[in-house]
Amino acid sequence: MAQFKQWALEYVLADDEPVQLELTKKAAKEIENSRASSTVVGNWAASVHQWMTLTNSNDDDQMEDGDEGVSGDIISRAKALAFLAGTLEALDKTILRPDQVQRLVGFFGAMFSYDHKAGITASAKALQQLYSMKNFKPEMGVKSLEDVCKLKEDFRLQTAGTRLEMYELFLSLVEDPAVSSELQHKYGASCGFALDLLQLCSSERDPRNLMIWFKIIRRLLIEFSPSPEVTEEIFKAFSAYFPISLRSSATPIGITAEDLKEAVRNCFSSHQRVAPFAFPFLMQKLDQGDAVTVAVKVDILRTINACIEEYENPQASVVPYVEKIWGSLKYEVRNGEVKETIDATLEVLRAITRKLDGSKTHKHDVSLIKNYIDLVFGDCRDDLSNPTYTKQAGLLLMTVVTASIRGYVLYNSSFIDIIRQNIRQPRSPTHTRDLLLLVNSIVKTRVELVKNRKDGHHDDEDQLRAETRTHLVNLFHDVYLPIWTGKAGEAGSSENDILKQVALGLGLLVSQQALDAEGEPSLLCPGAICDEISKLLTATLVKPLTLSSNDNQSQDATLEDEVVLAMRTIVMNYVDAYGPFLMTARKEILKRDWAAPSEHSLEALKVLLSRLVFIGCSEIPSNIKFDTEPQQPYNPLQHYYAFLQNFPVQFPLSPQSVAANSYILSSFHASVIWFRDACDAKYGASALAQYSSSEKNWMDEFEQLPGSLVSQFESGAIFLDEAATAIKEEDPEVYRQFLRLSLFVVRELYKSATDQAPWSEEALIQLARTASLVVQSLDGKLQVSCKLAQEAFALFKTSEDQPFSSPLSGLLTVGILQGLHPVAMEELYKSGGVAEKFICDTSSLSSSPRASDIKAAVGAIYSNKYQAGPAASEEYQTLKRVLEFWTSWVKDSVSSSDVDSETFRQFTNVAMHTIAGAVARQEKLVLDLLPVLHEAAASPSPNGEIVARSMGILVQPNSEVLNKESHAVTKRFYKQWAYNFLVRPLYELARPGNGKDPKTTARYSITILSVVKNCPFTVYQDDVESLLRLLVIALSSKKDDTILSDEAAQAQVIAALEILVDILAHEPEALKGFLKEIISGTTKVYQESAPSNSTLHKPLTMCRKLSLQVLGALPKTFEERYLLSFSPPTQRMLALACGDPVRKVREAARAARGNWARVV
Amino acid sequence: MREVDNANPAILNVSQLPSRSRKVTTPRHGPDSKCDKIVYSKRPWLCGSSSSEDEDLEEDYGEDPVDAQDIYDLISPISDPEHPHTLGQLSVVQLPDIHLSPSPAERRGNALVTVTVDLTPTVEHCSLATVIGLAVRYRLEQTLPPNYRFDVRMKDGSHAQDDQVNKQLGDKERVAAALENDTLKGMLDKMLETCV
Repeated sequence: MAQFKQWALEYVLADDEPVQLELTKKAAKEIENSRASSTVVGNWAASVHQWMTLTNSNDDDQMEDGDEGVSGDIISRAKALAFLAGTLEALDKTILRPDQVQRLVGFFGAMFSYDHKAGITASAKALQQLYSMKNFKPEMGVKSLEDVCKLKEDFRLQTAGTRLEMYELFLSLVEDPAVSSELQHKYGASCGFALDLLQLCSSERDPRNLMIWFKIIRRLLIEFSPSPEVTEEIFKAFSAYFPISLRSSATPIGITAEDLKEAVRNCFSSHQRVAPFAFPFLMQKLDQGDAVTVAVKVDILRTINACIEEYENPQASVVPYVEKIWGSLKYEVRNGEVKETIDATLEVLRAITRKLDGSKTHKHDVSLIKNYIDLVFGDCRDDLSNPTYTKQAGLLLMTVVTASIRGYVLYNSSFIDIIRQNIRQPRSPTHTRDLLLLVNSIVKTRVELVKNRKDGHHDDEDQLRAETRTHLVNLFHDVYLPIWTGKAGEAGSSENDILKQVALGLGLLVSQQALDAEGEPSLLCPGAICDEISKLLTATLVKPLTLSSNDNQSQDATLEDEVVLAMRTIVMNYVDAYGPFLMTARKEILKRDWAAPSEHSLEALKVLLSRLVFIGCSEIPSNIKFDTEPQQPYNPLQHYYAFLQNFPVQFPLSPQSVAANSYILSSFHASVIWFRDACDAKYGASALAQYSSSEKNWMDEFEQLPGSLVSQFESGAIFLDEAATAIKEEDPEVYRQFLRLSLFVVRELYKSATDQAPWSEEALIQLARTASLVVQSLDGKLQVSCKLAQEAFALFKTSEDQPFSSPLSGLLTVGILQGLHPVAMEELYKSGGVAEKFICDTSSLSSSPRASDIKAAVGAIYSNKYQAGPAASEEYQTLKRVLEFWTSWVKDSVSSSDVDSETFRQFTNVAMHTIAGAVARQEKLVLDLLPVLHEAAASPSPNGEIVARSMGILVQPNSEVLNKESHAVTKRFYKQWAYNFLVRPLYELARPGNGKDPKTTARYSITILSVVKNCPFTVYQDDVESLLRLLVIALSSKKDDTILSDEAAQAQVIAALEILVDILAHEPEALKGFLKEIISGTTKVYQESAPSNSTLHKPLTMCRKLSLQVLGALPKTFEERYLLSFSPPTQRMLALACGDPVRKVREAARAARGNWARVV
Repeated sequence: MREVDNANPAILNVSQLPSRSRKVTTPRHGPDSKCDKIVYSKRPWLCGSSSSEDEDLEEDYGEDPVDAQDIYDLISPISDPEHPHTLGQLSVVQLPDIHLSPSPAERRGNALVTVTVDLTPTVEHCSLATVIGLAVRYRLEQTLPPNYRFDVRMKDGSHAQDDQVNKQLGDKERVAAALENDTLKGMLDKMLETCV
């Protein structure tokens, strides 16, 4: 006893929660140790005695005593009770005996009528704890509830926290099945306790409490079957909060207005017994007109929606109100302007159809849905003939009819019939368009319904199987075709809009599926109609080619674009449409003379080819039956195959026309891109990986195919791979077969390539890029087994093929090499191999810069795609030899008089790119080569300048050749790495003075600038100070032909200005100390770069533009006081610059002038 | 607030205004044109990275002396003081009413060039015609080099008091004095905010 008293006292005196917790735990432990002996529990309960009342007799008396303790110390008493509640929380929930629990319930329950100030929070908490005790009996729950209700008016005076405790207690009690059944047993349908609760909680405003209160209400409605009178009372209690909102508060409580809305909505939709009150109430709120804001309207509509969806037995709960709901809601759409409200309204109308139709397991009587749709039809039918309301009426009908399969099957025919009647007598072009839009929407929704037929009731599929379809099939001849033929000749924007809708509709119509008796889908339209449709669209697409440039007046290609999309939908569903389309296009193309085509014809050819590719190759065709026998068995690759068969394989179009021929190869390139993307989308890029272990050598298979390319295609020989013949639509094997086919065509074209017409550089480039695309999609193992590395140099040619040895053949080599994985390149690093010979052959470099570009690309790939191996390996040594060869060539030739500057430039280009490939991989071999290059750059001969200027290439390898898709090895920080070794050592050497040779310092400066220009700011930000000095020198140095050539000087200035722009963007503060020099430098550059007609025109223009850009950026970055003294001359100079002959420069000058005008 | 002189002026869409860019054929945007850029690239393939600048660099950097379209581009984005539209959209400034003498083809070096701009107020009694004229003049002075002279006028018969307005706009002293006036200057700056 003394112990409990002591703890209670300590508890009352303590302020720290942990200390209090400790004390309650001790008390709990003590009770548990005594196995809850009556004495101990009694002592424990009596321990708070001294705070309960001033006059005391005994424990029991105190429990019953109602009036005396009020005068005690309220705070201490509250704490003392909290001690008891805390102990109960810490106590083992099984240990108290039923009688003890009952007494405690009685004790704490009494507090609600006895001690309104101090005891409520603790008592509520204690009751919660007692409720969770094992020996808590349902009748005790009823008693607690009744006790708590005695609080009456005082409830609202409690703090929100206290009320929260009580709400949680209520919720636990009503959610407890035993307690709730006891309550029902005691109170029955009259639910007296519920009325008490409603009274108690009637003016709650705290959001957290409301959330629980709404849950309790929902529970009451669902579980307790209250009588209609009680239901109405409950309804009044929660509907008073509707529409609910939440004031934004500085201290967020984790509850949003949306949560509250949802909670109230759940009360509305809790049970159909609320329906007689809910619907009239909500409709009345909705019909208040303009007084309702959009947010509230949406809330009301969503609540109606929730009610319709949740209420069971729609016959009694929804049907009586349907007419009223429709009556109110139709105007929201018919005359509504706000999208949110319209959407929410349509959602409600859709919900009604679905509810009246039935559920997945049970269908309601058909009369329910029929009556509803008839009601809507009756109101909307006339609106369809009124252009003002066509769209809205259509939307309403669409929503109601297409919400369920049963509704759709019953009504789509009459719906379409009404539209068809109206479309025959349109009031205006927009009326026609709106009606067409409607037809298209119906047809489009049908696709969805058929697709999702298995998700609903099993009757749905039967309904679809038995539907009448003739009205759909007839759409083409009754609706689409007459409009098309009527409008096709007219060229106005409204006609175009209509035609676009027709095209869209035709695509949708052909893609419609019908279910046969077994439930198997097939195309709804007969093949004859599909043919007719595709012919119609084909004519539109081929037409531009047949027109002369004068006839082709329409700039607006949107209609043709829509036709293209429709045509694609058609050929993907009705696969037989693509062949005739290709044939017609091909016939039209071949009809024309391509020897000297006009620009217009070429453009038309380009567009047509591009469309042919898109229509056939941008998706995998679907395998759907149609009524006629297909021209060939289905194959997912059939369109791609047909395209190849008709175009690339027929290359060339004409021996003369370079452009026309290269367009044919461009279309091959495009077809590979499209089909690869389609495969990626359908099967995923990883689909190829599963085949990697079982690769065969495709080249051997190709080798065995007889005859020419054309004959192989015609005989279908290329398809003879057993995996390809019976391939399914979903099989990822399609991807692999596509690559095989593409590689085959690439190979054949490579074999036929020569340096004579019809092959041109453009054609070769197209072919090479296509080859690169195909090769890069193959995995490494396959590339090895097909020996592609060797073929890159052999170009797949055999002794029977025409040789191709001009430098341009290198383009084809690059094409293959670019796509190879490093593992497939291994063969090329053999000593004295073909690649080494090719790269290090200095004799074949003619004067064409193209040849040097090609060799540079091959060199870059070669040094980049080396797979690291031991230093002693043959491969490593070969690579080393190649890199050293080019470095020493540069070093030796830089001062040699045998090599003219143009040749030297080309060779340096090759050397730098070859080394750049290794730099990107951070190849350590490079580190030994850099000092040699530095030395070459510093050489006094004019060629040294070329080396210095080319150094930038080392950190900027050709991104077209080396990129991630083509498996190049590019380390993340390689620029930083290269900068450290390539540029850092040069800063000191580049600074003039101290008797240094000005030529040498100038060369080093050019080297630095050409590299830094190609680096991001973060790479050189630590050296900005040193760099700025160089930049200032570069901008302000006088022209001196003996040190730098004009060209090099220009290049240096441009690089300096570009770097300045970069620094200005990242760290303008660094420029503060150099403002005077920069302003005078840029002004000088501008003035010295006056326009000239020489070859330097472009660099001079660049100089002027960049210098103005730098100048213009200064006032935006620095305060006026730094610039004021430079303002007048700069403004004068900028005013003059506004008359520059080049527009881009003038723009920069105007911007700069505007910025400087503010410096006054 | 003062009543607006013309409450309902005719307004042109931005795309209807004359512009230089539209003279160049725009690339296609059809569904099939996704890979046009790749397969019909005009850039030479494999060229060294040093020359990988914009494709149409040559076009952008060609010589192109100041012409009427340039002047139009300078002044048409000026906002109207009354309406939330530009002078171009309200057809106050029209391309055919801008003349340069000597014409771009005949121009030599830094010879004097006279720019004549005829403005068409939206209504004959437009009280803000002078302010608009001043704004046009101010904009031209701000953006063209010193060898340009400007003659900003109301188009014949387009304004009830065109003589007076023209006189004001032609008087250098009055123009300079007007620009000293803070209220007027503030108004002009507001009108020029839409110019970039």
